[in-house]
Amino acid sequence: MKVVCDRAALQDAVSLISSVVPPRSSKPILQCVRMVATPGLLTLHGTDLDVGLRIGLDQVEVAEPGEVIVPADKVDEIVRACSDSSLTLEVRDNHLNIRGADAHFKLNIIDTSGDVDPWPDRDPAEGVTADCEIAGGVLRHLIERTIFAAAADHNVRYAIRGALYERKDRKVRFVATDGKRLAMADGAANSGKGESRCILPKKPLHLITRLVDDPDQPIRISIGQNSAVFAIGEGDRAGTSSPGAMLWTKLEEGTFPPYEDVVPRDLDKKITSNRDALSSAIRRAALLTNAESRGVRLCFGDNRLTLRSRSPEMGEAEINVDVAYDGDPIEVGFSPNYITDVLKVAETSDVIIELKTPQRPGIFRCGQDFTYVVMPLQV
Amino acid sequence: MSIRILPPLLVNQIAAGEVVERPASVVKELVENAVDAGATAIDIEIEEGGRELIRVTDDGSGIAADELVLALTAHATSKIARSEDLEGIATMGFRGEALASIASVSRVTLSSRPRGAEAGATLDTEGDQSGTPRPAGMGPGTRVVVRNLFFNTPARRRFLRSPQAEGTRVAETVRALALAHPGIGFRFLVDGRERLSVTASASLRERVRAVLGQDTDAGLLDVEAADGDLRLRGMIGTPDLARATARALHVVLNGRPIVDRVLQHALREGYRGLIEPAQWPLAVVWLEMDPRQVDVNVHPAKSEVRFHDPQRVHALVRRGVRSALGAEDLVPRLDLTRSTAPAGGGRMATGAPYRPAPPMPASRAGGRGPGAGPAPTPRERATGPSGFDYQAARHAMRAAAPSDLAFTTGASAGPDPGRDVAGDAWAAPTAAPSAAIQVHRMFIVTEDAEGLLVIDQHALHERVMFEQLRARILAGTLESQPFLVPEAIEAGAGEMEALESLQPLLRRIGIEAAPVGPRSVAVSAFPSLLVERGVSAAPFMQSLLARAAEAPIGDSEEALFEVLDMMACKAAVKAGDRLTPAEISSLLAQRESVERSSRCPHGRPTTLRLTIRDLERQFGRR
Repeated sequence: MKVVCDRAALQDAVSLISSVVPPRSSKPILQCVRMVATPGLLTLHGTDLDVGLRIGLDQVEVAEPGEVIVPADKVDEIVRACSDSSLTLEVRDNHLNIRGADAHFKLNIIDTSGDVDPWPDRDPAEGVTADCEIAGGVLRHLIERTIFAAAADHNVRYAIRGALYERKDRKVRFVATDGKRLAMADGAANSGKGESRCILPKKPLHLITRLVDDPDQPIRISIGQNSAVFAIGEGDRAGTSSPGAMLWTKLEEGTFPPYEDVVPRDLDKKITSNRDALSSAIRRAALLTNAESRGVRLCFGDNRLTLRSRSPEMGEAEINVDVAYDGDPIEVGFSPNYITDVLKVAETSDVIIELKTPQRPGIFRCGQDFTYVVMPLQV
Repeated sequence: MSIRILPPLLVNQIAAGEVVERPASVVKELVENAVDAGATAIDIEIEEGGRELIRVTDDGSGIAADELVLALTAHATSKIARSEDLEGIATMGFRGEALASIASVSRVTLSSRPRGAEAGATLDTEGDQSGTPRPAGMGPGTRVVVRNLFFNTPARRRFLRSPQAEGTRVAETVRALALAHPGIGFRFLVDGRERLSVTASASLRERVRAVLGQDTDAGLLDVEAADGDLRLRGMIGTPDLARATARALHVVLNGRPIVDRVLQHALREGYRGLIEPAQWPLAVVWLEMDPRQVDVNVHPAKSEVRFHDPQRVHALVRRGVRSALGAEDLVPRLDLTRSTAPAGGGRMATGAPYRPAPPMPASRAGGRGPGAGPAPTPRERATGPSGFDYQAARHAMRAAAPSDLAFTTGASAGPDPGRDVAGDAWAAPTAAPSAAIQVHRMFIVTEDAEGLLVIDQHALHERVMFEQLRARILAGTLESQPFLVPEAIEAGAGEMEALESLQPLLRRIGIEAAPVGPRSVAVSAFPSLLVERGVSAAPFMQSLLARAAEAPIGDSEEALFEVLDMMACKAAVKAGDRLTPAEISSLLAQRESVERSSRCPHGRPTTLRLTIRDLERQFGRR
């Protein structure tokens, strides 16, 4: 194998591959990147057996087709540390030679001819059917506004460790919750018929947000019983290598909670607040909270929001913000993290807060297509 | 068979079954008689574990020659005269049964010479055959020689254990009696060899040391507390001296050694979180109270009592123990030579050793407890029981004398005024030691004024969380985060029942859980502290219910602590968690401010200390 490739493109690709491969594994081959050179194309593969990524680079000149398996983190470090505009990758004498203008790395390669693990390959197209096509920017936007609310990876409720993907015709919805708050975002696909539904783990979703660089570039989603495939560019031709990227993932198992029941519909108090003002107020009020008393109290009334926090060890804080609200006064406690989380991803200049009583869940709305439900604290 | 009145010998033998079980009980009765006779020195001698010979000699008031026969008669006593006397018993004995019972099952020689009498007299008995008193030459006092115990009741003799085992029992009894009567000298001989000797004039500490073993001395803390006429004083061992059995726990009530569950519980409660649940503290406490406030006439051997107000006694003991322990720096020394927990001292008498503490079980949450170190270096740390504020005094001393540069890398490297830095008088470097590293994501190594500290990150954080939770909950209920989507868990029948009784406790700690089916429970709110620390509600609730179903948890302080313990354990960093420098320094700062930081809530040490002296010795610099 001998390939001359654009270093920047290679760096992006290798860096994505290294975020797929597991940091520690009992199977050393899983920590590797597999490079396959075919005429006009260098394809990189990486997997942790739950998620797999294949990236096809066409900013390459393939002098000699072939393939090689090398530790992903080393290739990543080398490609990142070099400043050449292009690098030559050549397999010779059982080494991968990486050459720049003034540097030459000879990297030991994994010999797959002997008794070591063969590359744990998988045909990503197996068992999946085309679901829809959606613009990369829309998909990324859906993911970014929901995934932060998903439950942590050590949570025993597998179903809520990921985000729910739900599509009805061209309407796509993402929902994520950790049981205390819930984020729900809507978007439109370019195409799509019928209905589908699955739970996508966090890791591939984070990868997708990194894979999208042109927001208009369509992503084709295919879904099967146990897995889903996301193809960007030309990358979905089954079994063949082509430019672009293809990501496959196992689905989270279990039943996602009936999220519609959780979104209250009878909230009668609507407060409109400037997002940045609210965000700054929450952050300041949170300064005097600690692990045992997280709560910040929000008192709304008379076009004013007063935030109060108190920690017996440290003291108290009071912050005042102008808001649009002239209904009955209401005081409700929230964990400040839950609010700052949503304000971070909100893109509208105003947020609408809907409440009913201090015990009932409240809603933060940032635009028509984004709803965030959060449970107040009982202080 | 017709009904008949039993002959006196048989009556006494039956009574003996209650009072005289084994040589140890004979010794106890005889020594108590000597105490009641005002003795200042008591000699106890046994042979063959007391089966063949028990000899108790005192220098007490003695018995007149013409009363010797009476002394051996049942229900004959000089200690009480009227029924009202039972209300306020100040003597050890009062039933008048002991000597008669003993005499009915052995060969007794009773010799006595009253103080001021010209000569003594001696009387031999065997079963109910007693001879007539003969004059005998002896010093003032009484000597009782008991031979061939149970010679006429072979069934009971068969129940006696080996001389070795019986000797151990006698030794325990003598030990308890010697602690109970600090004003009396004791000498104890086993087969002619002296096993204990303590004079009447010895200090309490000397006595405790003589009885429990020399090596306990460094770990003995003084306890003192009072509540009206209720007075507690004594000496308790540091947590390292804790034992696997209650044998090193001595409670003396109004001069009487007793075994009382209320007091044992109070003592252990005082140690809660400092020793492991299965361990017993080493303690010798003297409790004095109005004799009318306690009923000692509950048990023939009088080892059990009934308090009229057990709560008050419990509270006093617990408070006394806690404040004594709270005033100490309990960081155990890291021992480079021994790897096991200390077996402790307290060996005496027949040489039967205490069982060493069992090996440390692995922590429930993956925090790994190292073997407990041996003797700590006691050092006043907080307000002492006397009311003197040691903490303030120490701070004042630190402020007055800047730290010694040579032993810190800390920020407070002030000019050295040329103070004498020899010995243990080195000032503490800073409140929070500055240099600290995490080792194998499990331990934190840092320094303090005395040397090197090795800290178990999980154990210490667990203690910190526990104390914070405790403080928070004593001030009110915990902040609770209700769920949008309740978490359902499966539960067994016993657990469903336990849930019901747990409700008041759950409300206090901010958990809402309700049955949603015959076998399932929905958790709909969880303490925000645990949410914040990433603790999942379902597994926590499952283990809590399982625990409650196993042994009922009520709404007592004890139950609350148990649950807080679980919470602290779950919320604390685990072995294997990488800590940032900021997290490490915050943990170390909290170590300084939190009570009982030397031990995790399960009683394992959080911190071991390797002193500069030890290091110097190991490196051959001393």
